[in-house]
Amino acid sequence: MTDTAGNATTTSGDEPVTMMEYFMQLEYSDVVSAPVMRFRDALMDARLIAQQCPKCKLVYVPPKGYCPIDTVELDERNEIQLADRGVVTNYTVVTPVQYYGQKETEPFVRASILLDPPGGMLILQDVLDIPVAEVRAGMRVEAVWAPKGERDVDEIGNRSGSALEGSLRGFRPTGEPDMPAEAFSDKVW
Amino acid sequence: MAALKDVAIIGYAQARNERQAQATEVQFLFPVINEALEMSKIPRREIGFTCAGSCDYLSGQTFAFVMNLEAVGAWPPISESHVEMDGAWALYEAWVRLQHEDIDTALVFGSGKSSPGNPAEIYPLQMDPYTLTPLGFDPVSSAAIQARALLDAGKVTERQMAEIAARSRRDAMKNPYAQVTGEFDVDELLAQPYVTAPLRKHDLPPISDGACAVVLATGDKAREVCERPAWIRGIDHRIEAHQPGMRDLTTSRSTRLAGEAAGVGSAPIEVAELSATFTHQEPILREALGLGDQVAINPSGGALSANPVMAVGLARIAEAAKQIVEGGRRRTLGHATSGMCLQQNLVCVLEGEQ
Repeated sequence: MTDTAGNATTTSGDEPVTMMEYFMQLEYSDVVSAPVMRFRDALMDARLIAQQCPKCKLVYVPPKGYCPIDTVELDERNEIQLADRGVVTNYTVVTPVQYYGQKETEPFVRASILLDPPGGMLILQDVLDIPVAEVRAGMRVEAVWAPKGERDVDEIGNRSGSALEGSLRGFRPTGEPDMPAEAFSDKVW
Repeated sequence: MAALKDVAIIGYAQARNERQAQATEVQFLFPVINEALEMSKIPRREIGFTCAGSCDYLSGQTFAFVMNLEAVGAWPPISESHVEMDGAWALYEAWVRLQHEDIDTALVFGSGKSSPGNPAEIYPLQMDPYTLTPLGFDPVSSAAIQARALLDAGKVTERQMAEIAARSRRDAMKNPYAQVTGEFDVDELLAQPYVTAPLRKHDLPPISDGACAVVLATGDKAREVCERPAWIRGIDHRIEAHQPGMRDLTTSRSTRLAGEAAGVGSAPIEVAELSATFTHQEPILREALGLGDQVAINPSGGALSANPVMAVGLARIAEAAKQIVEGGRRRTLGHATSGMCLQQNLVCVLEGEQ
C-alpha cells in the first residue's frame, strides 16, 4: 500500500510492534491525624485508648474522630481508657507462602480480640505463648507489651488500623476459663 | 440541556482550604456535610440520593472514596453513587437522578486531599500512557503550553494574567475558605521569575486540601425549606479530545457548547464563578461563555485562591448559588473543568425568583 504521497506503508496486521517499558512510582507523605497522635502517645505508655460515641456507645479503636453511625464528631472529651485483656472472638491460621517480603516461615495466628468493658475490638492480633492448634474462640487473653525502651510507634499512622506490633506484641492466654460463645457472638469480626 | 424539572440548591458548605490538613479527608469532610445539611433543613435520613466526587490517587489511599461515606452517615444503607470526577459532576448525576419522580432531595459532595502526593507525578498518569505519561506531562507544563499559545495569538498579555491573579487574591480576602489572599502589586508580581515559562507562581493555583457539599431539592420541597432557592435553570457538560495536540488550546469549544446548551446567553449573567485554575484560562472561559465586562468574575477569589481538586468545581457552583441565596442576585453561573487544558467543561446556570 502507499499513502497519498506515494510512499510505501504497511498493511493492517503487518505493522512492527514496538514494546516499551515505563516504570513509575508514586510517593505519598501522610500527616498523622490528631486522634491517632494521641493513640500513639498512649501506646508508648503501654495504654490503649479509644473514642466512644455518646449516642450509640460504640467504641472506636484506634480513635477516628467521629462516629459514622450517628455522624457525630468525637474528640478528647469522648476518649476512654481500654482494658488490655479480653477474649478471642475469631481467628485465622495463616500458612505463610514465601513471597517476597514474607518474614514468617511457620503457621501463625491472627485473632480478633474483644477487650473487656468498656469494650473495643482489636483485629489481626498475634496470639503468643500457645501452640497454633490450641487457639480457640472464647479463650481469655492479655496484652503482651514490648518493654518500655523497645516500644516503637513509627509505623502507626492514619491507615495502619490494628497493626500495633511495635508496641503491643500480641496477646497471650491468661489461663482463665473460656467464655461461652453467647458472650461475644454479636461482636465477632 | 434545559432543566426538565425544577431543582434548586438549598444548602452548601465548604471546608477552609489548607496547604496541608492534619485532618484526614473524612475528618475534614465531616463538618462540611453536617453544615450543608443543617443549612438545608432536610433531615439526614430523608435525603433521597447521595453522590460524591473524589479521586483515590490524590491521597494515595485505596477505596478512600468508600471511607468518605463515613462522613455521610451511611447506616442503615443509603442510596448513593460516586464519580471519579470533581463534585460538580456528582451534582450533575444527582440532578439527573432528581428528574425521576420518586425522590425530592439529594446530597452532593466533592473532596480532595492533595497534600500527601506530588501532583507533578500523579497527573501525568491520567494521560495517554504511550506518548504523554512518559513525558511527565503535568498540569503546569500543559498549562504553560496553553498560555504560550494564548500569548502568541495576542489574546492575553502577561500583565493581564498578573492582574487576574491580583484581583483574585484581593477578592479572596473576603472568603473565609480561601488559602491565598492579600493585596499584591502587579509590577511586583511580574518581576517574579517564571516557574515554567510563561507562567509565574501567581499564574498557578495553590495545592489545597478541601471539600464542598451541596444539598439539592425539587420544586415544592425547595420552596418549603428555603426562602430563596438557587434554581438550576440549565446544566450541561461537554468533552474534547484527550490529546491536547488535537485541539486549539486558545479557545474552549466544549465550554461554549455547554454554555449554549445551559442557556447562558438567554438572559444577563450577573456573577460567574469559573474554574480557571490558571490565570490565562479565565479569558478563554469568558470568551467561550460570552461574559462581558459587566459580569463579576470569581468574587470568591476563585480557583487561584484555593484549588481543592475534586471539590473546586462544586465550590464554584456553591459560590454561584450563594450569590442568589444570600446575595439576592437574579442570575449566576458556576463552571467546573476536568482534564488538562480545559479538556472537559461543565456549566450550571442558576436563578433566583423575582
